[in-house]
Amino acid sequence: MTQRLSSPWRIGVDVGGTFTDLVLVDAAGQVLPFKSPSNPADPEAGVLAAVDLAATRLGLERRALLQGCTLFVHGSTIATNTLLERKGARVGMVTTAGFRDSLELRRGIRHDPWNHRAPYPEVLVPRSRRHAVVERLDATGAVLTPLDEASVHAAAAALAAQQVEAVAICLLHAFRNPVHEQRVAAILRAALPGVALSLSSEVAPVIGEFERGSTTVVNAFVAPRVVPYLQALERRLAEDGLPHGLLLVQSNGGAIAVAEVAARPVQLVLSGPAAGVGAIRFFGRDSGSANLIAIEVGGTSCDVTLSHQGIIGMTDQLEVDGHHLAIPAVEIHTVGAGGGTIARRDAAGMLQAGPQGAGARPGPACYGLGGEYPTVTDCQLILGRLRPGPYAGGAISLDLGRAVAAVETHLAVPLGISVEAAAAGVLRLVEQTIQHAVEKVSIERGYNPRDFTLIACGGAGPLHGPATARAMGCRAVYVPRLAGVFCAFGMCNTDVRQDHVRGWLSPLDNPADPDLARMRTAFAELRAEAEAGLDRQGFAAADRRFVTALDLRYAGQQWPITVVVEEIAAAPLRAAFEAAYQQLYGFLQEGGRIEVVSLRLAVIGGLPELALEVAADDAAATPVPIETRPVWLDPVHGVRPTPVFDGATLRPGQRIPGPAVVDEATTTLLVGVGETLRVTGADNYLIEFAEAADVRA
Amino acid sequence: MSAPEGFADPVLLAIVQKQLDHISKQMGWVMTRTARSPIFSQSHDFSCFLGSRDGEVLAQADGIPIHTGGGGFAIRAVLRDFAGDMADGDVFILSDPYVAGGNHLPDWTLVRPVFLHGALVAFVCNRAHQSDIGGGAAGTYNSAATEIFHEGIRLPVLKLMERGTLRRDLWRLLLLNTRCPELMEGDLSAMLGSCKVGAERLASLLEELGAERAEACLAAVLDHADRRLRAAIAALPDGEWVGLDGSDTDCFETRDIPVKVTLTKRGETLRFDFTGTAPQIKGFKNSGIANTYSAVYMAISSFFDPAIPRNEGTYRCVEVIAPEGTVVNPRPPAPMTMNTVYPAADIVHACWKALAQAMPERACAGWGKTSYGISSGPDEHGSVFVMYHWHGSPGTGAVLGRDGFHSMGQFTTLGGLSLPNVEVYESLYPVRVTQQEIRPDSAGPGEYRGGAGVDYACEIFVPTEHSYRAEGLGRPTGFGVNGGDFGAGGSFEISIDGGPWHVAPRYGVERCGPMRIRIASAGGGGYGDPRRRDPAAVRRDVADGIISEAAAQRIYGLAAESSARS
Repeated sequence: MTQRLSSPWRIGVDVGGTFTDLVLVDAAGQVLPFKSPSNPADPEAGVLAAVDLAATRLGLERRALLQGCTLFVHGSTIATNTLLERKGARVGMVTTAGFRDSLELRRGIRHDPWNHRAPYPEVLVPRSRRHAVVERLDATGAVLTPLDEASVHAAAAALAAQQVEAVAICLLHAFRNPVHEQRVAAILRAALPGVALSLSSEVAPVIGEFERGSTTVVNAFVAPRVVPYLQALERRLAEDGLPHGLLLVQSNGGAIAVAEVAARPVQLVLSGPAAGVGAIRFFGRDSGSANLIAIEVGGTSCDVTLSHQGIIGMTDQLEVDGHHLAIPAVEIHTVGAGGGTIARRDAAGMLQAGPQGAGARPGPACYGLGGEYPTVTDCQLILGRLRPGPYAGGAISLDLGRAVAAVETHLAVPLGISVEAAAAGVLRLVEQTIQHAVEKVSIERGYNPRDFTLIACGGAGPLHGPATARAMGCRAVYVPRLAGVFCAFGMCNTDVRQDHVRGWLSPLDNPADPDLARMRTAFAELRAEAEAGLDRQGFAAADRRFVTALDLRYAGQQWPITVVVEEIAAAPLRAAFEAAYQQLYGFLQEGGRIEVVSLRLAVIGGLPELALEVAADDAAATPVPIETRPVWLDPVHGVRPTPVFDGATLRPGQRIPGPAVVDEATTTLLVGVGETLRVTGADNYLIEFAEAADVRA
Repeated sequence: MSAPEGFADPVLLAIVQKQLDHISKQMGWVMTRTARSPIFSQSHDFSCFLGSRDGEVLAQADGIPIHTGGGGFAIRAVLRDFAGDMADGDVFILSDPYVAGGNHLPDWTLVRPVFLHGALVAFVCNRAHQSDIGGGAAGTYNSAATEIFHEGIRLPVLKLMERGTLRRDLWRLLLLNTRCPELMEGDLSAMLGSCKVGAERLASLLEELGAERAEACLAAVLDHADRRLRAAIAALPDGEWVGLDGSDTDCFETRDIPVKVTLTKRGETLRFDFTGTAPQIKGFKNSGIANTYSAVYMAISSFFDPAIPRNEGTYRCVEVIAPEGTVVNPRPPAPMTMNTVYPAADIVHACWKALAQAMPERACAGWGKTSYGISSGPDEHGSVFVMYHWHGSPGTGAVLGRDGFHSMGQFTTLGGLSLPNVEVYESLYPVRVTQQEIRPDSAGPGEYRGGAGVDYACEIFVPTEHSYRAEGLGRPTGFGVNGGDFGAGGSFEISIDGGPWHVAPRYGVERCGPMRIRIASAGGGGYGDPRRRDPAAVRRDVADGIISEAAAQRIYGLAAESSARS
């Protein structure tokens, strides 16, 4: 394919376990997706291979493609994989005497009490490499016991003997006062040249020695693997023509320059999925709804993200493979429901789907790569929703015979039902899991899913979207044409963002006001620091945005609520807190004492938003199906001859009544009975429901 | 309730079972979101469950392990007292463990019948620990109690709401009997709201299925669970085994209080016979019958595959014999508020010990018992703070393939209750924690060793009322299995007003000046012969200071030069 590009363009590269997705958006708003196999052994080569694939398809040299690119945003799984594969640095730790074991005691947190036979993941820093130093601050940050430097020198000697590559320093209450951590760092820097240091007061200055320490340790653990990779990739891309620096997507959904993230690479753990935020923001405009719930269904899991009135939920409590991280992140609820989810019969004759999956290798049985067990994708194939043959440019090929054999052997025969009934049952179970996940992110926070439009994305999402939305009472499902490269696309519509958090703790209502004055000063300092960072990155004043927020709680409660505020004054802060509390919990403590737990400043360097191209309606042309094939639609209508359309031939304004199947470049859509597919002004899809189509069994 | 012959839709069965679980979880979300007391929104001390029209627990996906299955007693008490006098929109409330199927007085249970086309089809329920229910001590735990009357208000089965209308007179009576009426009002409202949502969701599911199929599906969900546990039990050899655990204090004096169970396995059934268990005791560690069943069910479900459902169908093949007048089935007016912790832990341990003999490879070593206290007193603003010294929690037992967890919260939640950060406690309360560290040589030796206890030390700067719970003091409590050994026993010392250190009382409440606390918490038991432990793991434990060099050589048989190399 050779395509005319209008320069300049943006490129988003999302490295996943199986595929690396690259999306290019040119100045005319043309969006071009590419999928290339990932290279886990050499991630840099994997990214360059994706770049080369795009260049070749576009008839360009790598250099020309990079030279015309003004924004190159990368979502990398390298931090996550370093953690998952435990291939990080040999880390040592320095703690306050008496508290050497917070990391290993983990506050006793276990999510499934019943599954008590499962061990914790092994601690990243064994006890022998955790060294206590004599010092103590109180809860206000005041020094109770001055730092005993002899104890630090002893720790340094021990760490040197243990040949650590990195050290995490986490002292009690250091988020209130970093003085002792900084002094420890100075001594270690002199004593251990070349050893990377991570300070809890810099990496995650929030209350809670376990989560802050764990975050600091993970940072120290991934840094020596992640930072050199990013620096090398950036250098390489620059040598090959990229005129600007490489940007990375962080867990908060915003982008950041390599130089800025080098001290805190732990911020990259959700690098890929968090980029969906940019896509949700973009598609919000086209879908016509400010309340969106996105389900991104891939091979192994379904990520659910909620956006209410354009605001996407954030959290400070992430967990990756059992490691707790206190970093600002997009709130993504993940459940084990994807194309590769395995179905089986349990010991007492009940059908089960998931949470185990077949992964990329061997994958579904129909891939013919050695997968033996039936998966969701096998069921979709059997029910005619996917067609047999090559997909993703021939990267995989679906074999119906293998799918049938797997479902027959492992489900239909043992359960005593037909192959079709078993396959349909698996889909219903997976859709129930997805529905429950959507209800969790909405209902648990006090939102009604009926007020939301569902965005179905990920390669496997659109086939499940309508059934899920219908079961929850949503009116419509929005499907981006590029559903299969959702996050890579989101990277092309991101801003540069840095979240600063400072642990605090003071009463909100102090008539004498010294605390409010101190807060204003602290925010001013944070902002000055942030402005300097934006100066370095060359953002014009008009493109800078600052969001000030406070974490507030009623005195005596452990869980704070984050409240965005315009000004630091007691009355508006109280009002904003009470409104948020009411939304979340349904009642108030009238006149209750409120405490400030931490200060937050989100610093945003705005990048030009992608233009939403709205095409003229082309409703006159009648869409013509490429074939009609039998497709299992739902439990009521069963199998019907169903027209199949090639998405590439559909134009804005066109409508297709269900039932219908639409084959897209990166996904497949199913439009059910009583549903209508409409191509939106921006050339995406909206599936709308007529009332009262009962598709339940 | 039993499914008609021939019900065999494995897809519908799965969907209905998951939906029932989901409804109970949704009830939990509503509860956490709307309740006032931190005990619900932060500690999740409540359980939401659904019951069949015959009073069998259908689903309890939301909830804590020691509530498992016990809710059926509450529903059956409602059926007993109000059969034929129930209507849509009614909500019942109860708490009494002697007459109303309660587990202990602080847990109040709401039971709401669900109707379909005018016929009773199911129940939705919420059991939640109230912040205060009157009685001899604030906060529901009166360790001085010698009769249930000292423990707070007793609720028989009462109709709290009649056809959707709240009984205001009863509401006022309830709020009059608590020290925190505002908290209770908010919490009861949250419980009512959660039952309303649950009832609506359940009715809509059953409506969708249609009356006849709904009945068959609910029965099939119970039958399926029944088949799962029977299949697991069938793998055990037939036989009879005895498990023995217990306490050495009745809260007032030292004495031997055995909890003895004889487990008989025949075919696909288990019988747990508590004949030989100690007579009921003076203090508040007696277990009412509902709590005893819950503890047995918890022991079973934690012993077998966690994927086996935990509804009441699961336990149809289980018979429990709890002789009247014993600590596992006391006669009134024995007090029992402590029972969800002790003797629940003793009951679970005794059952585990018996089960371990039937299936050694699934044996669970004992969790160390707790020695800690609760400080309450005025904070700097004059409000009362209540601080549980969770940081001094004991270590847990090992199982095949995994060492015990170090210091972990509350055995009868199976560690579902997490420990707070020291920094948070110091910011909330007038206290300073000076140590919370792994206690060397406390982990029970084994091929898989127990979890270590901790050395915990804390200074309390203001006068407080201190309530003691030193069950794990002295003798070791975390027993080993299959050749593994006990974890170390705990110690608990205090120094008041700068005075000398002395051993803390086992139970009871004291008014103290500023004080210091020093706890060495118990260790969990080990699994298997310690001499079979992987030498690399032993060397790592030595390097980590979890076990001493001497213990490594003496107990684990590590050669001296081998450990020196680490």
